[in-house]
Amino acid sequence: MPIEEICKTLFIILVIVAGLAPIITWIERKQSALMQDRIGANRADIGGITVLGLLHPMADVLKLMTKEDVVPQGANRMMHMLAPLIAALPAIIAFGVIPWGGIYSFGDTTIKMVAADPDWGLLYIFAIGSIATYGAIMAGWASNNNWSLLGGLRASAQMISYEVTLGLSVVGIFMVFETLKLTDMVMAQDTTLRVFGFIEVFGGTVPAFLDWVRLPAWGIFYQPLGFVMFLTAMMAENKRPPFDAPEGESELIAGYFLEYSGMRFGLFYMSEFIEVIVIAGVVSTIFLGGWAIPFLDQATIIGGIGSFMGEGFATGLCVILHFMTFMLKLIVMIWLQMLLRWTLPRFRYDQVMNLCWKGLLPLSIANILITGAVMLLVRG
Amino acid sequence: MPGKVIKVKRQEQLGFSERLYLPAIVKGLMITGRHFFRNLRGFVTGKNRTDFVVQYPEERVDYPDAFRGMPVLVELENGEPRCVACGLCEFACPTDCISIIPGEIEGARIERYPEVFDIDMSRCMFCGLCEEACPEEAIVMSREVEIGSYDRPSMVFKKEQLLVPEPLLKRRLDFLRAEYERQDEPRKPRTESQS
Repeated sequence: MPIEEICKTLFIILVIVAGLAPIITWIERKQSALMQDRIGANRADIGGITVLGLLHPMADVLKLMTKEDVVPQGANRMMHMLAPLIAALPAIIAFGVIPWGGIYSFGDTTIKMVAADPDWGLLYIFAIGSIATYGAIMAGWASNNNWSLLGGLRASAQMISYEVTLGLSVVGIFMVFETLKLTDMVMAQDTTLRVFGFIEVFGGTVPAFLDWVRLPAWGIFYQPLGFVMFLTAMMAENKRPPFDAPEGESELIAGYFLEYSGMRFGLFYMSEFIEVIVIAGVVSTIFLGGWAIPFLDQATIIGGIGSFMGEGFATGLCVILHFMTFMLKLIVMIWLQMLLRWTLPRFRYDQVMNLCWKGLLPLSIANILITGAVMLLVRG
Repeated sequence: MPGKVIKVKRQEQLGFSERLYLPAIVKGLMITGRHFFRNLRGFVTGKNRTDFVVQYPEERVDYPDAFRGMPVLVELENGEPRCVACGLCEFACPTDCISIIPGEIEGARIERYPEVFDIDMSRCMFCGLCEEACPEEAIVMSREVEIGSYDRPSMVFKKEQLLVPEPLLKRRLDFLRAEYERQDEPRKPRTESQS
């Protein structure tokens, strides 16, 4: 149904791009201020009303819109114009496959709370994410500036390196859930994990009182190492501190977007913030159970409330609860990323590469091996 | 004789947990997270806020008495400056920013007074030498620093703009007197002879 698709796409653009992305700049300012015992942005006002500094994003956008758009002499105009779009668009469209709710049936109609639900959902995110690399390289090359070029080179090297780790670190998750479809992945996490279930593998029986010890069947509990590596690789892909070698304020001025001004600079700026949301969305979908409420699966909610309030009402309530859960997880992950960004000192360029090729890559391969061995033992 | 040299034992190589990154990262996150939540609670309840930010135009810090702001003239109760237009400050000023034209009142107890007393604040460097040179405690450094302007002519402050009633300058005057007293005290004889 095309109308449904359009509605979902509009929803993503309105909530994620127009709603969350500007607020993220506010969150970053306020959170860093609180972490550093400051007050943070609180001056922009309309008629004396400041709303805790929430008007600053508006002031920022207004400023960026009215600034001159400079194209440097000797620059490749076409590429220079195109680069910010190529950097920003993938971040937005990657959100298309992230489910913000499950699959619900109201009588005959079935509603999927996701814009697109292909079988290759996770691969789509990786594919789209690697397009953003071209934006950075194009911007660096087209600007006709040595610093930009160095920034672009660093960006390409860093992003290509980390993409290898990014892919390998979630292979364990593919093996556990046996799917690449993100909606199915969340469905599989909407149950509980028996902590002492491994005793049965060795031929024993689990005592009844220990069978109550359960965890939500989230990816993070199956793949804790995978979670850390995936988050690290994703943050490195995003080029924000502590992995901001391509921008390198102290050595490359601003790196690949050095020669940009006005709204084109704003697009690079926004793409980083949108990517923060995408990372939060992907990580919470794969590792934190997406919309799944811990210890309370969809059937229990609909069955429990539906028995005295009616099936339709219960399903509607379930949609709202699931969406709120997903947003909560999203916000927690955004908070964690901001906390990391404002806590860790930045890596030197060679340290970034060492961490990837000597640290994360062997670890991720070892993770696949161990996961495979355990899977062979448990599932036979 | 050289002082006692203390050799501090420093960890020169990273330990295992530091090379693993993760424990150190978690430790760092705990510190920043603690600050975040403490300030967030303070932000919501308005109590126990640890930020020390001064919201400048609305809030101000009280500068210490030794602070040298813009030089001003001490105004007596009758509205006249205490200045006797001796010209010592004009002479002491390293930037030549003070210009005085003395006047005379026939038959008064203090006959001399400044007819014109201008200070070019765009040249003043707040050194305080005029204050030190003044024998009458008539020109002192105030705590006023917000004297910015968009053009040069308005940076020349006239006598009327410089006059400040004496009670308002009490803190600075008391400080100056205490300072001069301290300097006039006889120095304690030194045990070692200075070469």
